[in-house]
Amino acid sequence: MRPDGNVRIDVERSILQSADEAAALIRALLSERKIYALNLISSPGSGKTTLIEALLARFEGKGGVAVVEGDIETEIDAERIRKHGVQVRQINTRSTCHIQPSRLLSALREMDLSETRLLLVENVGNLVCPAEVSLGEDARVVLLSVTEGDEKPLKYPLVFRTSDLLVITKTDLLPYVTFDVDRVRRAARAANPAVEIFEVSATAGAGMSALLDRIEALRATKNEH
Amino acid sequence: MHELGVATEILGIALSEAERHAAKKVTSIRLRVGVLRAIEPENLSFLFEHIARGTPAEGALLEIVEDPVRVECEACGVSEASSLTWECPRCKGTGVSVTGGDSLTILSLDIDS
Repeated sequence: MRPDGNVRIDVERSILQSADEAAALIRALLSERKIYALNLISSPGSGKTTLIEALLARFEGKGGVAVVEGDIETEIDAERIRKHGVQVRQINTRSTCHIQPSRLLSALREMDLSETRLLLVENVGNLVCPAEVSLGEDARVVLLSVTEGDEKPLKYPLVFRTSDLLVITKTDLLPYVTFDVDRVRRAARAANPAVEIFEVSATAGAGMSALLDRIEALRATKNEH
Repeated sequence: MHELGVATEILGIALSEAERHAAKKVTSIRLRVGVLRAIEPENLSFLFEHIARGTPAEGALLEIVEDPVRVECEACGVSEASSLTWECPRCKGTGVSVTGGDSLTILSLDIDS
């Protein structure tokens, strides 16, 4: 009993517990089916959909890729991906600024994943909220385009702390913008010493094969067992 | 806007704990929030107040205990900083890694039973 007549009860519970429980169910589903999942996070327009298209081209004919697109509104991205002839599901998050694990779990339960070996989840374009919530993914990929500025790892620390891969995109535009790649590398390494950093230009093709090779190798670690 | 999701989770946990302890009212909620979570306390309290209306947690005060970013420096040992940095605030060395500041936890509730 406290002086004001109230009782204090200790809780010590993570505020993200229900989201974490849904993420654990996704992780179990992916593990049972040996599906490797990437959660792609960036600001709007940094190149998430373009990276997905490059991955689809890489795995063309090898099959086994499924895509989940997250956006506040519209089916635009899903339609863009559907043209590649792969299974795609659009999640419209409406008032929520990220894909919630419960929504992803429902989508996955409705999809035919019998042939799927790689799942690509494109989160809502946003560097803040998607970082807070695990989707049960095997790896988290944050994309940062050089036009956004090199201070982003300091301004949005959580996403850089929790991502396994950092992809610096649109490097063909480096001559036209003020963007210190080393500054980004240092800040990202401070947030997460284990982060793997790639510099790519999807239009010029520079650096893309190294990134795609790495993702293919990561996928193989889960599929071969 | 992301504070709304956090406020909703806090309310859900507070109400289930209140029910479990047969509380009439939740008067205060203590939270530990990491600086890296980028939670704006005023916005969180505003949203919580709004969604808690008509529930036993209506009017409950949110007490936020800040979990500072912890920076570990290879050269001079553990140090501390208020925001993410790649430079040790003590010795200015660059061999630093961030080791804390991302908690998002309900510590305790004050209830009126």
